[in-house]
Amino acid sequence: MAAAILSVLAALAAYPVVGTGYGVRSVQQIFMWIALAGSWNLISGLTGYVSFGHVAFFGAGAYAGAILVASAGWPWPLAALAGGAAAVVLAVVIGYPCLRLKGPYFAIAMLGLNEVLRALVSYFEGLTGGGNGLSLPTLDASVPIYYVMGVLAVVVTAMSWLIVTSRFGLRLMTIREDEVAAEAMGIDTFHHKLAALLLSAVGPGVAGALMARDQGYIEPISVFPLAITVTMIVMALFGGKGTVFGPVLGAAALFVAQEIVWARYPYVHPLLFGAIIVGVVLLMPRGVLGLLQQRYRLPRTI
Amino acid sequence: MPPVLSVERVRKSFGGVAAVNDVSLALEPGRIYGLIGPNGSGKTTLFNCITGIERLDAGRVSFRGERIDGLKPWQIARRGIGRTFQIIRVFPELTALENLLVVTRGARAEAERRGRELLEFVRLGDLAGEYAGNLSYGQQKLVEFVRMLMTEPTLILLDEPAAGVNRTLLNDLLDAVSRLRDAGKTVLLVEHDMKVVMGLCETVFVLDHGEKIAEGPPGAIQADARVIEAYFGR
Repeated sequence: MAAAILSVLAALAAYPVVGTGYGVRSVQQIFMWIALAGSWNLISGLTGYVSFGHVAFFGAGAYAGAILVASAGWPWPLAALAGGAAAVVLAVVIGYPCLRLKGPYFAIAMLGLNEVLRALVSYFEGLTGGGNGLSLPTLDASVPIYYVMGVLAVVVTAMSWLIVTSRFGLRLMTIREDEVAAEAMGIDTFHHKLAALLLSAVGPGVAGALMARDQGYIEPISVFPLAITVTMIVMALFGGKGTVFGPVLGAAALFVAQEIVWARYPYVHPLLFGAIIVGVVLLMPRGVLGLLQQRYRLPRTI
Repeated sequence: MPPVLSVERVRKSFGGVAAVNDVSLALEPGRIYGLIGPNGSGKTTLFNCITGIERLDAGRVSFRGERIDGLKPWQIARRGIGRTFQIIRVFPELTALENLLVVTRGARAEAERRGRELLEFVRLGDLAGEYAGNLSYGQQKLVEFVRMLMTEPTLILLDEPAAGVNRTLLNDLLDAVSRLRDAGKTVLLVEHDMKVVMGLCETVFVLDHGEKIAEGPPGAIQADARVIEAYFGR
């Protein structure tokens, strides 16, 4: 297993040397989706607190990073870290009040958070460019961003592995399984949920800032679309929520499928995604890896 | 010696119905107490008031001399009150051993050793790696029981430990409860099985319509006219 992972990583590290521009950009996108789906999985897959607005962290990271690069002249790697920090701050602001409550309030609050952020970004034109968007100085950093995005995907996945194999991770799962029983057994569920949310905000924040640098231009509709949240959820569900490598599998498989379908049949592409959501929910609610785990009694770390 | 648990004039209503009405009781350390009463008499609500799941409307609950009403359930649990539930609440997608591990802090190896030991003790050693949701009803009940023991409680609240458990298993469970008492723990159990209550408990409290109508040794309770009336009518 370890050897297989290392050889895949080595191949991906060597890829920009031989790959086309399109190929490198595509793999970089897969890295980004792994980071997003894996992060969503940390809060929603483990604790069962479904976030319908995880793109808010992505957008907050994108704007924080872009503003620091455009207005303050920060180098982009530093701005990417600041994007992650901005997302964590946002997670505290939303998580502190909302996660005290049990039940669906968090899901609804996250949905609203994204809309509020989009409105705020449009309103503060001086800083963000408002609806006109924000342009960054031109810079070709595709290959360095490819590597940094790759590292981000590895870090998010490694963090998932560490969490899932720890008692902290098991406690997060008890919240999903039975929050009342967890509390009655001495588990401080609020602080566990908050910690999970903060950890799950870092990846999207960094990814947003990297994406902003790579594209060179962002606007409210490009970094706060509901579609990004939906895509990361579908990827995590397809691969297997609550597993370590489910989001990796889901991100890679669905991104490739999406590219093929999108190129050939642009009009049925949303339809296909809708069909996948319905199919996964009805036929394999545990996702591909969840199903294999159950059938062949594999550990969660598969 | 002060009581381990003292419940003073506790009241809890849902809508207009007083589920627990002005109930007081005191538990001395190292004894087994029974809490009985017809269905809907407020036994489980009283458990929920003690463990912080329900907020009190009035009254106070003290544990080892300190007030605990108003604390969160996890804070109360960490002070040393462990409980099981009337309807089983194991974590189904965690293994039996993981169910025990999650409630522990400190060194993991030591926690695993103790977890396996407790599973052996209830004869579930071979099923340590099985998902709790795949176990039988009785086995899940045992997992819940030993999970509660993993928290090393001083006071143990058991909500119908005998229900749905076969005789052999039940005898093991009752043995375990007696041994916990001998080790200085205090036990309060809700139970419908009168044989269990009469054989195990030193003192019995009787609730009816949210009120405590009797308290005393099992023999006297069985002969108490108000108790007979509560169960069978006049």
